[in-house]
Amino acid sequence: MRNWLFGVAIWTAAAGIAGAQPAHDPTWPCIQRKQPHLSLGQVWTGPQPDDATAAIARDPEVRRLAAYLEQRRVPMEDAEARITEFAEDADNQHLTALMSAVFHQIEPERSALIDGIARYGTSQQDLAKRIEARRAKMEELEAAASPDFDAIDAEEEALDWDERIFTDRRQSLTYVCETPIILEQRAFALGRAIASHLK
Amino acid sequence: MNHLPLAAALILATAVPAAANRVFVSNEKSNDVTVLDSDTLEVIGTYPVGNRPRGIAISPDGSELYICVSDDNIVRVFDPETMEELHTLPSGPDPELFVLHPSGNPLYIANEDDNLVTVVDTQTHERLAEIPVGVEPEGMGVSPDGKTVINTSETTNMAHFIDSETFEIYANTLVDSRPRFAEYNHDGSKLYVSSEIGGTVSVIDPTTQQIVDKIEFEIPGVLPEAIQPVGVRVTNDGSKVFVALGPANRVAVIDGETDEIIDYLLVGQRVWQMAFTPDESLLFTTNGNSNDVSAIDVESLEVVKSIQVGQQPWGVVVAPDAQ
Repeated sequence: MRNWLFGVAIWTAAAGIAGAQPAHDPTWPCIQRKQPHLSLGQVWTGPQPDDATAAIARDPEVRRLAAYLEQRRVPMEDAEARITEFAEDADNQHLTALMSAVFHQIEPERSALIDGIARYGTSQQDLAKRIEARRAKMEELEAAASPDFDAIDAEEEALDWDERIFTDRRQSLTYVCETPIILEQRAFALGRAIASHLK
Repeated sequence: MNHLPLAAALILATAVPAAANRVFVSNEKSNDVTVLDSDTLEVIGTYPVGNRPRGIAISPDGSELYICVSDDNIVRVFDPETMEELHTLPSGPDPELFVLHPSGNPLYIANEDDNLVTVVDTQTHERLAEIPVGVEPEGMGVSPDGKTVINTSETTNMAHFIDSETFEIYANTLVDSRPRFAEYNHDGSKLYVSSEIGGTVSVIDPTTQQIVDKIEFEIPGVLPEAIQPVGVRVTNDGSKVFVALGPANRVAVIDGETDEIIDYLLVGQRVWQMAFTPDESLLFTTNGNSNDVSAIDVESLEVVKSIQVGQQPWGVVVAPDAQ
């Protein structure tokens, strides 16, 4: 009982602190600072993409390669080998186009993840409020002159479930919050591998 | 051509004996310290040090390594040669960053959770004072003459000037949002305070405590919110200032005279803190999200190597030359 109460308190406190700082999003549940979008320059120091590279990035072959590289289950050694193969007859424009295609695969996926985490944060806050309301109601029912024990039992069961869901979600939060970073790491590693072939 | 300065440095290093220094990197997530050799740039070893190590410093004589182990709410002291724990020093809850007096004593510790700076005698291990500061104290700096200690508070957005004799705050300077780090240049004429959310570095005149310049950063292709200045280091001659820009994955190089930006160097992901070798030939950066350390050639401004370390490297310190 004390554990989940502590959890709710922490959650509410965290939301309170976050709310005090306008630069923070109160719905954001992670320790990591919310960064809604990744920008190409964070993972790439080569030439900036232009219309010509954008056209090459739309080429089915480049898009297929980008889609292959982006998959996290593909080991980096394999990804590097495919990049080296591509780089054999690719100029800087083609390399930039490949990076641009990789980035445009990873960025939307990451943004969708960030939105999902924010929704997760909001629903967790709502749940914390509901748990507090249920506890208040329980106290009220128990304090009645002639307590309705059936109502108390029903309320207690509902409260148990809410607490369980709240705690389970809180425990998986660490992993959930790590996922955007894993995508950033992939983009950075691919950026470094592609940039190593710039002439 | 680019490798010439490094090659020259290596030749010099082999000609002059005992040029290698140990580099200590605190890994926030893997709860250990990675030790590197500044000469070979190879990992010497990895040693467990306690829960969530962040701030890291070494005594001027190189005999004691201090580590803020934030989740243990304590400072642990290690023998830098053997990495055996010697003793602990008291701090408040969640110590994050600290600074040593230039003489090596005392140690000034920012405790993020209780709005206090703890002053600890490194010889007697006694707590000398607790100084109330702003909300979420974070960055710590000390003037070269040791007379003033600076603390920055994340939420109050201030740099507090503390008299190191009386432990009283004698001035406050309002800076941009979430100040993270405070660093003096070596003649004490400028104080640099980085603001993580504000995205700026305030240049403060320590005699008037007024902001004389504000450095702003702009990197093509990088969204402004990804530019989050954290660690700051200044060369001994004051000519170059290095600023770690967090998730922009770059270190900005600034002209220490004009406060103009000279260059941006791509290092690793979420670059956080930095440390020079004693001869200032290399600058090491901790890159928290790519789990590596970058070595920058200070003269040529080239990133010469990335070295994989533990999980989420946070702080870095280089041992002084053997005495």
